[in-house]
Amino acid sequence: MSSLTSTTGLEAVRAAVPLERERPVEDYRIDTVAPAVALRPADRAEVASVLAAANEAGLAVVPQGARTALRLGAPLERYDVALDMRGLDRIVAYEPEDLTMTVEAGLTLEALRAHLAERGQELPVDTPPGDEVTVGGLLATARPGAWRGHLPGQRDLVLGVTVAQPGGTLTTSGGRVVKNVSGYDLHRMHTGALGTLGAIVEASFKLAPRPPAVRSVAIRCTQTAQAEAIAFDLWDRTLATRAISLLAPAAAEAAGLSSMPHVLVEFGGSEAAVSRSLRDLHDVAALGHALAADEVDASAWARLRRLAAGDQAHDDASAGDVVLRLGVPPSEVARVIDAASALDAAGLAAWAHLAAGAVLVRADALEVARVLELRAIAVEAGGFLQIEAAPAALRTAVDAFGAGDLVLSSALREQFDPRGTLNPGRWGTAS
Amino acid sequence: MLNPLTRLRSSLGRHETRSPLVAALEAALGREHVLSAPEDLAGYEYDATIERARPDAVAFPASSAEVAAVVRIARAHGVPVVPRGSGTGLAGGALAVLGGVLCVMTRMNRILEIDARNRIAVVEPGVINLQLQEAVAPLGLTYAPDPSSQRVCSLGGNVATNSGGPHTLVYGSTVNHVLGVEVVLADGRVTFLGSRVPDAPGIDLRGLFVGSEGTLGVATKIVVRLVRVPEAVRTMLAVFDGVEPASEAVSAVIRRGVIPVAMEMLDRPIIEAVQHQKDVGYPSDAGAVLLLEVEGLAESVAQDAAAVVEALEASGARGIRVADSEEERAALWEGRKSAIGAIGAVAPNFYLLDGVVPRTRLPEVMRGVVELSERYGFRCGNVFHAGDGNLHPNIMFDELVPGASARVLELGGEIMRLCVDAGGSITGEHGIGLEKRSYMEWVFSPADLDAMGRARIAFGGDELFNPCKILPTGRGCGQAHAAEIQRHLSTPGVYV
Repeated sequence: MSSLTSTTGLEAVRAAVPLERERPVEDYRIDTVAPAVALRPADRAEVASVLAAANEAGLAVVPQGARTALRLGAPLERYDVALDMRGLDRIVAYEPEDLTMTVEAGLTLEALRAHLAERGQELPVDTPPGDEVTVGGLLATARPGAWRGHLPGQRDLVLGVTVAQPGGTLTTSGGRVVKNVSGYDLHRMHTGALGTLGAIVEASFKLAPRPPAVRSVAIRCTQTAQAEAIAFDLWDRTLATRAISLLAPAAAEAAGLSSMPHVLVEFGGSEAAVSRSLRDLHDVAALGHALAADEVDASAWARLRRLAAGDQAHDDASAGDVVLRLGVPPSEVARVIDAASALDAAGLAAWAHLAAGAVLVRADALEVARVLELRAIAVEAGGFLQIEAAPAALRTAVDAFGAGDLVLSSALREQFDPRGTLNPGRWGTAS
Repeated sequence: MLNPLTRLRSSLGRHETRSPLVAALEAALGREHVLSAPEDLAGYEYDATIERARPDAVAFPASSAEVAAVVRIARAHGVPVVPRGSGTGLAGGALAVLGGVLCVMTRMNRILEIDARNRIAVVEPGVINLQLQEAVAPLGLTYAPDPSSQRVCSLGGNVATNSGGPHTLVYGSTVNHVLGVEVVLADGRVTFLGSRVPDAPGIDLRGLFVGSEGTLGVATKIVVRLVRVPEAVRTMLAVFDGVEPASEAVSAVIRRGVIPVAMEMLDRPIIEAVQHQKDVGYPSDAGAVLLLEVEGLAESVAQDAAAVVEALEASGARGIRVADSEEERAALWEGRKSAIGAIGAVAPNFYLLDGVVPRTRLPEVMRGVVELSERYGFRCGNVFHAGDGNLHPNIMFDELVPGASARVLELGGEIMRLCVDAGGSITGEHGIGLEKRSYMEWVFSPADLDAMGRARIAFGGDELFNPCKILPTGRGCGQAHAAEIQRHLSTPGVYV
């Protein structure tokens, strides 16, 4: 940032929005690095102006919302401008009878949920770490929660997005109707792209009626294999299931349960459907010789969600925990949990969402070799391992993603962000 | 059926005129898997639209390696390649508008794997949608997307168009059910997008590919998600005096907090056509019928069905029939599933449209469709996915009447405009293809279209890979090609 051009560029970026939008850079550190400037635009036009100015000046921009996924992916190569999207928090359109909604990207899930609850509706996503996540972050990270596999994911619920592109152009794909195949589904491309192909400024979603009854049960088991058998039995029945998770003892403890293997289940639907599901669950638990099957409140889920996103510390490069997300066929989930649990690491917890085949492993710290061991297991089972959160050193030593067609991904980056303005380096070897 | 003499003549002719392109294809696939004689090509110059375009050769590869070979050979000879499944597309997506090689996937029709425990199946693209459903049914599983053409349409084609169907309302379109897909790209490279489980790392290339209408590559293997067949299903038929009260009823049902898995509407012209073909028990004096289905646990289905019946009655349904057995359910669905075929029996030609509007705008938009059809003087029957707001007007006409085809297309354009003005879309499940390229500018800005074009470029898409589809003239299919397209289209098109 020493050259005259960079300084001039920075001034141009600053000038793109009114002075009062500037924020203290200290609040926007990523992997210890503070940006040269932090801005919180108030609308899409300001987002576009900032991007255009930064792109022109060759400055790197990192759009961010609740800042809960910034330890996901390889460390940034450059970081000049923090683009705080939370100023874009309007509900643009809500059509309860059409079960659709269009909102700005900085709106939090908490605000969105509160608004929908008034009409008995919901956006059925439970992305980690919790409802402080913004709509833009929800899409950009595409982090699955426990409902995935039972309810549609954000990739399925998104009907269209508007993004600000690095050159400052605003582009839209999809629309606001629940069924639409006009043109390329760029909204799906941006979902999970970690803000590397454009900054999402607005999104439309398909909504669902909120189930009148929601109940959770923790089934206590003596071993993982038993928990697995019970979980599969439940999954094979067509109950009003919203989540079936398999918890190794440490994960159960972290969720507020006893330190034993557990199957944690959530049912949602009409009172009749949920009561019937609970009856069946007790039959399944008895058949599987479970130690107990007790109703629990939603806090167990909330704790797991929080654990799945990792710490959010950015003031020390070596601090912070490690969270891995493995995707394997459901039949391999218990085996992967056992393999992870056998690793010698402090604070290790492993749990899985059965239907989506998503296994989460968190530890206070984890050696590179252990991460690669687990990745080999996932790949052999036909799946993958992604680092959801880790100290920068680990994310430098190991490819954080380890999957995907890199030629096509790079070609998309080249087409949509030729100057590497957005989140440069985030894909690591994959960029 | 050709007589032996004709066949001899044509095979001789083929020897005489075989081009280097055809020779290369024959060398790669075997002579019996390449067509190039005019009388053979004639069968491949159409899909389910009114347009026609003749390819220079038709290739039937049997593996991803052979597909890659076809793609490379076409490129080496400087001609376009166009993928085609069963040819049931309704937007001209599988037409070889600039000639070249039609790459027909029907030989790749094996179900490679059914993994009931993990609820996935791995299939080749030529597998017919219904065949997969039938193969997994004994396991208590199903493949949810069920386009009306499911008896004949291929899963590769479903992936290309991101097909829907009556059950999209709850289950979503094809993209929600495809976990991974092996693809031959425009340069012949073979890659795999996605995974065998959801939410694979990296940019969601799978999500971009599904619905790209065969312009980003050729699907050669598809990993699909299977779902459990629900414990209980209740199917109902509600009779209304007209389309408008039936449309109001659709929203009334949703207002009760119940989302049926299907809400299908048939209007009077369609009911008459269906009944004319076979008595399926639809009252012939009805203005419209709604076919609704709820599913789930026995306990909740009974409740949901009762709520639906209440909503229908309050909206003026003059009669409601509830299927009590699987046979009755099948009977209620038969009319819906045979509707499109039935139109063919009462009209020399029909033009099937596909548009979407917000569900709550259905009553006014349906009124507009009827008024427009009357103004143009065409009979129009509607059979559609009312729950999704996904319209399917069928304009009946006779192509032998001079000027009729052009006026039908003009009317189609006006109906699409009506959908766009209501905040909807120009296609819900059939795709843009060749047919609707010029309407893209009604919904997307030049910058939006430019972004889409860049996605295509990233995949190596150019004028040699399924050209002139999706993006409007001037974007990957320049004005310069207009005359060329016209040469290949054997009917006068208004889209070029």
